[in-house]
Amino acid sequence: MSPKVRDYGLVLMLIVAGLVPLIVGLNPYLLTVLILMLIFIIYSSAWNFLTYTGQGSLGHAAFFGLGGYGSALIASWLSLPPFAAVFIGAGAAALAGLFIGAICVRLKEWFLAMVTFGFAIIIQTLVVSRQFSGITGGWDGIAAARLMPGGGGTNLLIEYYAILVIGVMVIVIFWLILRSKTGLAFAAIRENELEARAAGINPVKYRLFAFLVSAYFSGVAGALEVHHLGYITPEIFGVDISFWPIIYSISGGLMTLSGPVVGTIAITIVWDGLQTFGLTYGRFIIIGLLLILIIIFLPKGLISLPDRIREYRDKRKK
Amino acid sequence: MTGGLDIVLQVGIWGLYAGCIYILLAIGLNLIFGVMKVVNFAHGEFLMLGAYVTFTFYAISGFNPYVLLVASVPILILIGVTIERLCFRPILGTGKLNEIFISIGLIYLIQNAAAVIWTDEYRIIHSPFESITISVFGVNLPLDYLIIIITTILILIGLYLFLRKTRLGKAMRATSQNRKGAMLMGINVEKMDMISFGIGAGLAGAAGTLWVVSGQVFTPYMGSIPAVKAFAIIIIGGLGSIPGAIVGGIILGLAENFAIFTIGGAWKDAISFLILIVVLIFKPTGLFGESAE
Amino acid sequence: MKRVFVILAVLFIGLVLFAGCTENQAAVGSPQKLKIGVVASMTGPASTTGKDVWQSAVLAADEINAAGGVYVKELGKNVTIELVQGDDESTREGGQKAVSKLITQDNVDLLVGGFSSAVVSAHESTVADYSVPYIVSGASSPIITHRTDVKTDTVFHHAPTTDDSGGQTTLFIDDTIRPAINAKFGFPSDRPLRLSVIYQDSPYGKGQLDAIKKTIAASNLNINVISEDAFKMGESDFRTVLTSVKNADPDVVYVAAFLNEQTALVTQARRDVGLDKIFIAVECNDDPDYYSGIGRYGEYSIIQSRFSPYAVPSGPIEQSVNKFMSDFDKKWGGFPGMMGAATYEAVYIGANAVEDAGSLNKTRVNEAIGGTTMPQMVEAMKNETISFTPDFRESKFDLYMEQLIWNETAKETRPVIVWPAKLKETDFVIPDWFKPGQE
Repeated sequence: MSPKVRDYGLVLMLIVAGLVPLIVGLNPYLLTVLILMLIFIIYSSAWNFLTYTGQGSLGHAAFFGLGGYGSALIASWLSLPPFAAVFIGAGAAALAGLFIGAICVRLKEWFLAMVTFGFAIIIQTLVVSRQFSGITGGWDGIAAARLMPGGGGTNLLIEYYAILVIGVMVIVIFWLILRSKTGLAFAAIRENELEARAAGINPVKYRLFAFLVSAYFSGVAGALEVHHLGYITPEIFGVDISFWPIIYSISGGLMTLSGPVVGTIAITIVWDGLQTFGLTYGRFIIIGLLLILIIIFLPKGLISLPDRIREYRDKRKK
Repeated sequence: MTGGLDIVLQVGIWGLYAGCIYILLAIGLNLIFGVMKVVNFAHGEFLMLGAYVTFTFYAISGFNPYVLLVASVPILILIGVTIERLCFRPILGTGKLNEIFISIGLIYLIQNAAAVIWTDEYRIIHSPFESITISVFGVNLPLDYLIIIITTILILIGLYLFLRKTRLGKAMRATSQNRKGAMLMGINVEKMDMISFGIGAGLAGAAGTLWVVSGQVFTPYMGSIPAVKAFAIIIIGGLGSIPGAIVGGIILGLAENFAIFTIGGAWKDAISFLILIVVLIFKPTGLFGESAE
Repeated sequence: MKRVFVILAVLFIGLVLFAGCTENQAAVGSPQKLKIGVVASMTGPASTTGKDVWQSAVLAADEINAAGGVYVKELGKNVTIELVQGDDESTREGGQKAVSKLITQDNVDLLVGGFSSAVVSAHESTVADYSVPYIVSGASSPIITHRTDVKTDTVFHHAPTTDDSGGQTTLFIDDTIRPAINAKFGFPSDRPLRLSVIYQDSPYGKGQLDAIKKTIAASNLNINVISEDAFKMGESDFRTVLTSVKNADPDVVYVAAFLNEQTALVTQARRDVGLDKIFIAVECNDDPDYYSGIGRYGEYSIIQSRFSPYAVPSGPIEQSVNKFMSDFDKKWGGFPGMMGAATYEAVYIGANAVEDAGSLNKTRVNEAIGGTTMPQMVEAMKNETISFTPDFRESKFDLYMEQLIWNETAKETRPVIVWPAKLKETDFVIPDWFKPGQE
């Protein structure tokens, strides 16, 4: 699929996303599901941004959670409206991203995976530690101002559109970065680091930049979630929060803008749909199996499925 | 309160005992990495399966659980070989990130399948030697721990002899030193992959049995943390280096226990990763690692 | 281009179908029922407890329905209870989805359940938006009804908070164990008791530790907390922590841990470390698995309880406890657990409140729950009555302390109640192997 077609796809998806509330109406449950889905689309897209430089993280919950804590605290200290605090609070995640990125940029994939995984654990330990629990509320957590207090269909609809706008903004920013010289440098580093160096590209600089951007927008997603739920506890640094964006991005397709979007939507439908059949553990088994099958048979994710089907049909015709 | 030395000795022995599980896991991971250059993050699930296989056979047969090593190790070898064949071989060489991500799929799959089969309530069994303790250098040591330490040493000696003295073992070492060269020499490297993965899983299965007989509780989710620790150990020690794994294990064990004494048990996991990060900052290839991939 | 359309169309249709499915579900069900949403973790690590919670709620609803249902004055007739399961998946996001669905799709009249404090606090805002009465029968953190950032006046806490359970145990240590040790070893009666605390690094463990300290300070108890040690949730190797405790040399070791950790901890303490002290376990461990898991090593240790598989406090609740346990075993097999017991009661509290209110109107039901005065059911309550405090809407449990005594027929230990005075079957004893702590 050419990049151009993909871009059309995204525009189309945007139109659909804008129209979805017309179908679900003011149904608060479905709006809740959609809002959480949008937040995870932002989060998965931010996680996926890292893979453009050939890096991967198993501990993005650290950034998701730091963004949440940063924003919840700033909103309460400065009495800022949550929609503003989100962008400032995510700075905490960006700082952490810069720090961990500085350690990670020279490391090989396995080491990177371990360091990021461990970093989420270290951050959680710090947040609940005696030294910081005065600020973070320790295990009790802290309240976060809600995006749209009062709830109900109309408020959730406003929230949905606001988060949709933020989501579109984030993806447009990623798109702008990737089509610029920086994006070319990313690709060069990913394909062959030595050649990239020879061409005068400093991989460390670009990888660090990717880390910073990825961490910042993961923080934005985390902050949005926390303000949506109205409360934050250290459980936000859990392993599941680190693993979901990986599952979403791989399912949809790594190193594409539409991959995480498609993946998040598809997996959310599968996950919540299976629940109506009364499956509990079975759901995790199915997700695990799906992930393995996709990695082996559909390495470019669900968005490459139509291509693969066409290839298969062409082959059969011959 | 009685003084320091016997306490230090006692903690040392527990460290040694706890280290047995880590060493079996870490050496299995190292073996797989050496031959295939693959890191299996789902390695801890083999430990968990080993524990449950032991538990199931124990519940059916009522045999002495130590004897059940002959059940858990072969079964896990079989599972390991199957997983290598079905999951890792198809993606070999498609990028390191894929290997890491496929392990995540395996973790979800195996943990929850175990929860469906055995439920997720914790289990515990009691060893027939549970109440026997013997005195070693003035420290009271449960007989079970002594057997576990000796069993681990025997397994490691067996592994050493296998790698050094048999044709198959030599072929595996050759593959791990130079895959292309081994291929040119007529070694079937894909077979080596399968065998190394099988042995790695088998060692984890043995660790699972030892976990169960020592009276430790187990659940379907028990594998993740030991596996991550084992992986941290081999990174600290240097990927592919056996002495590195042992040194890494000792460093981590000491640091964790020291952390519990000083800054508190909540730091137990964090401290291992802090050390990992510090080591990687100053020596990105690990303490004993070779610089080339 | 076409292919993108196809993908999007498929996704879109999926979404619409998904929406349609849930919409249909909402349409079913007549208004002539009392709908109760049960928030339980059916997926994830907390699902064992989640199953207890759901099954106990079903048992209660079946009993009430078999007896003719709930009389609603406004409707002039009896209605039956219909339970709706909400799987919170043990996550904050899953909890919010489940609660939002229960409230807005299934139109439940009230909610019961709620296991983890983290999960509950993440969906409380949704509960507040719709002012749905919610009887929380799982989570133990006092925060859930004490927080002020959202309206919690429809949230009722029918589970002992960590403040309550930690507080009562500390009182027991002071008024029973301390004098017993001082008497047995001929210490001056003003010798302070040496207490070590080992707690799970979680809201639950931290809450217990805080409660112990608060109680000591508030009641000016003669107890010195000589060591505090945390461990990671799910830990299985406690030997080093225990050695550090042994070094501190306490009289009593207070352990705030879950079942899997508690079993390992006490076994290692008594067998490996030789910590010959009185161990105290918190209420969530009183489960058949604890007694079979711990074997001899549990002998003479103390367990705090509100609902025990083996020790039923004689007196007013004896009969109903035995009936509940045997009914549960008949229907589902096994032991319901204390969260099951509390949820079983919560369904009755809800039904009772609807009857009192004479209406399914949420505001009136809410008022009725606030004014609940029901005789205690399967768990001993303060004043033998279930009622909620006016300030934070917490019900007050009469927790009791059991000591584990070896039983030759069962080849396991069995609990006997040693505290408080009105419930106790026998006196607390200090085992012969016990060694008091020294400076």
